[in-house]
Amino acid sequence: MPEDTGQTEKTRNKGFVRRFLDLPADSVPKTVFVAVSLCLVASMIVSAAAVTLRPLQAVNALKDKQINILQVAGRYEPGTNVAEAFKVFEPRVLELATGEFTDAFDPATFDDLAAASDPETSIALENDPASIGRQSKFVTVYLLRKDDGSLDKVILPLHGYGLWSTLYGFISLEANGNDIYGLQFYQHAETPGLGAEVDNPRWKALWNGKKLADDSGNLLITVAKTAPPEGPEYHVDALAGATLTSVGVDNLVRFWMGEAGYAPFLAKLQAGEI
Amino acid sequence: MAQTRRQMLVDPLVDNNPITLQVLGICSALAVTSSLQVSFVMAIAVTLVTGFSSMFISMLRNHIPGSIRIIVQMVIIASLVIIVDQVLKAYAFEISKTLSVFVGLIITNCIVMGRAEAFAMKNPPVASFIDGVGNGLGYGLILMLVGFIRELFGAGSLFGFNILQTVNNGGWYVPNGMLLLPPSAFFIIGLLIWAFRTWKPEQVEEPEYKIQVVDAH
Amino acid sequence: MGLRNFFDRIEPLFVKGGKYEKLFPVYEMVESFLYTPKTVTTAAPHARSYIDMKRIMTYVVIATIPCILVGLYNIGFQANHAIATYGASGWRAWIIEALGIGFNPANPFANFVHGLLYFLPIYITTLVAGGICEVVFATVRGHEVNEGFLVTSMLYALILPPSAPLWQVALGIVFGVVIGKEVFGGTGKNFLNPALTGRAFLYFAYPAQMSGDTIWTPVDGFSGATALSVSASDGYAQLAAQGMTWMDSFLGIIQGSIGETSTLACLIGLAFLLVTKIANWRLVVGCLAGMIAFSTLLNLIGSDTNPMFAMPWYWHLVVGGYAFGLAFMVTEPVSASHTNMGRYIYGALIGFMVVMIRVINPAFPEGMMLAILFGNVFAPLIDYFVVQANIKRRAKRNA
Repeated sequence: MPEDTGQTEKTRNKGFVRRFLDLPADSVPKTVFVAVSLCLVASMIVSAAAVTLRPLQAVNALKDKQINILQVAGRYEPGTNVAEAFKVFEPRVLELATGEFTDAFDPATFDDLAAASDPETSIALENDPASIGRQSKFVTVYLLRKDDGSLDKVILPLHGYGLWSTLYGFISLEANGNDIYGLQFYQHAETPGLGAEVDNPRWKALWNGKKLADDSGNLLITVAKTAPPEGPEYHVDALAGATLTSVGVDNLVRFWMGEAGYAPFLAKLQAGEI
Repeated sequence: MAQTRRQMLVDPLVDNNPITLQVLGICSALAVTSSLQVSFVMAIAVTLVTGFSSMFISMLRNHIPGSIRIIVQMVIIASLVIIVDQVLKAYAFEISKTLSVFVGLIITNCIVMGRAEAFAMKNPPVASFIDGVGNGLGYGLILMLVGFIRELFGAGSLFGFNILQTVNNGGWYVPNGMLLLPPSAFFIIGLLIWAFRTWKPEQVEEPEYKIQVVDAH
Repeated sequence: MGLRNFFDRIEPLFVKGGKYEKLFPVYEMVESFLYTPKTVTTAAPHARSYIDMKRIMTYVVIATIPCILVGLYNIGFQANHAIATYGASGWRAWIIEALGIGFNPANPFANFVHGLLYFLPIYITTLVAGGICEVVFATVRGHEVNEGFLVTSMLYALILPPSAPLWQVALGIVFGVVIGKEVFGGTGKNFLNPALTGRAFLYFAYPAQMSGDTIWTPVDGFSGATALSVSASDGYAQLAAQGMTWMDSFLGIIQGSIGETSTLACLIGLAFLLVTKIANWRLVVGCLAGMIAFSTLLNLIGSDTNPMFAMPWYWHLVVGGYAFGLAFMVTEPVSASHTNMGRYIYGALIGFMVVMIRVINPAFPEGMMLAILFGNVFAPLIDYFVVQANIKRRAKRNA
């Protein structure tokens, strides 16, 4: 509160402050005095608020991301202790090109999106169906293990352009690297009622049990109005009335599951090397 | 003083509503009213900011030089808004995500500046606080009304709870997608203004010109 | 003239001071629908013309007849065609079977009857829902119900897809009449086209029922894209591959809204309106010029990623609602510009915007509706600048 701080100043330096306060409000020294002291007081209050609340905010942002990962892995119940439930996940930083985990970065602090805009850790895409511009060479993936330590699911981040906005989300795959468990977007700005139906639980449920590729490794998964000839297990029905969002989701899923995305990693998963 | 404190608080709800009569603060009313919960938080945030900014500005009113008074008001309002934003991010993260930039834009909400300039600069702190809270509540009332209509008919729910089962979830209600788009708030606010002025004809403005009427022979 | 006498006898009941004075607009509506009004203008200026509002509105309705006929035939044809594969169901099929007409797409009469069974419910719903609004407003506001509504309701019904749910039809026309017209003071003071306002409302409110591939032919299971959506998603070259010819589009035997598929029928209607001078030819010239110029420019620029760039102007003319909008909406005198120079600009703006929205906006394949509403909003501004320019020129001349 500006007044309070003004008071402490007053007690310390009464004569000086009093002299300014007694000046007519429109005089030049008074104007300068009011401007300077107001700025000082306001900036102190604002930075105090920002500093004291920052830890809480960081916890919130982290929790938000963890909830999304829990949801896509089917491990989220409203009311669960998120931080506790999240401990079952093992975050790892993955090098996309090789499909190998890397220890060059700490998964707890590695920021995929910041890495995607850093020329050191990203590449500008030539062939860019998901319209993301630059792609990070490293991403944080999350491994979910069964009680006996064998791999249960992997959760992979992906993003790409829909109709109005970039959709950010996660896909979770079974340990065989081919069966889809779920897909979820945590941030987008698609048309409410049409494209935003990517959040509809009924539509998200369609992804469960679909397959990415056939036995010989051809990537077949598609979001389309009609099923491809290869069979319904590779087909997710497009959103009614949201052609371009559906096309966007189709592109981004196929891009990230393809050669430029997780294909090397998925090949290792299928071979049981992870 | 012309107005009692009670009047100061109640007047802006209907008789002198900042949105429907003064037509201020429309932009944020369009942007945040697609769900009732967000409208509610926005209403509280604006009420707090208007109330306290009016109070602080009124406390300082005898020392604020006329030449920089707008900037001084802005600094005070902006500081309060940042505090509200930080608090929301810390304690209501989900809602602050939905409100995104609009909390920050409370700074530019004409109602806050309007009350500071029109009332707080000339009145004592307590009266200014009450006036600010009253106007914030008037704004909030309209926000909640618009949010109610938009969420109920646009998404079939209220405060996120399903009221009308929508077709996409296996129910019968076909949601009206336009209500989820910002322009629909224009229509709803327009219709509200119409309703208010039918109810209280003294709010109707004088027509700017009149069509000539000649008596029939 | 028993009817005339009847009206004269009951008139005192409705005039000021009469028993039913509040219902005067209803009386007036029925009376003036049947007879020429006997009142004359009392305040200056007095402009004499044989074309009164009633005649204008009646002529516009007459001009839509070709569109209605082709539309009825086309819906029936498309539906019968689809029924051959997907089978018939619902109350319409029951009526047709009861009448023994059958579903043969080669039989024009069967097509007409089937089309009528789709069009009539929509049209009647429009008349009833919109009519109630009109009468309520006329009664409360004390103005008269006029023939403008007949035009609005006809145009509105013709730009809907045949499968539109009737409750949405009702909601749309109520919105169109109230927001598009009555809040601004009724016919003559509406700066938006009420029929298009209602259609736009439905388009944004219920996109699933108003756009897509399954709504144009109201047979369950059938899916057929309009020429416009095919060219937007797959490129205009794909039209031929899907068996859509320019001639089909021109004649109107394609997927689309009830009355706007046939460019030929729209042009006949337009010719009628131009000959009777209801429609101002400057608007038509402006709109054609704007569309042709901008689409040709886009043809020349070309684009690797957006196939719509390559669509030539003669295709733009025959797909979507362009021809219908050109004939009946752009030429609507109230919402268009009122100065001659302004009419060219207004038309050109719409012609430009329609190509702009169709080609460059990814979300809305059909641009005519939005382009006209956009033009409506700008019409007063265009007039303002034209008038100001005129004033300046004269001031200079007489200085």
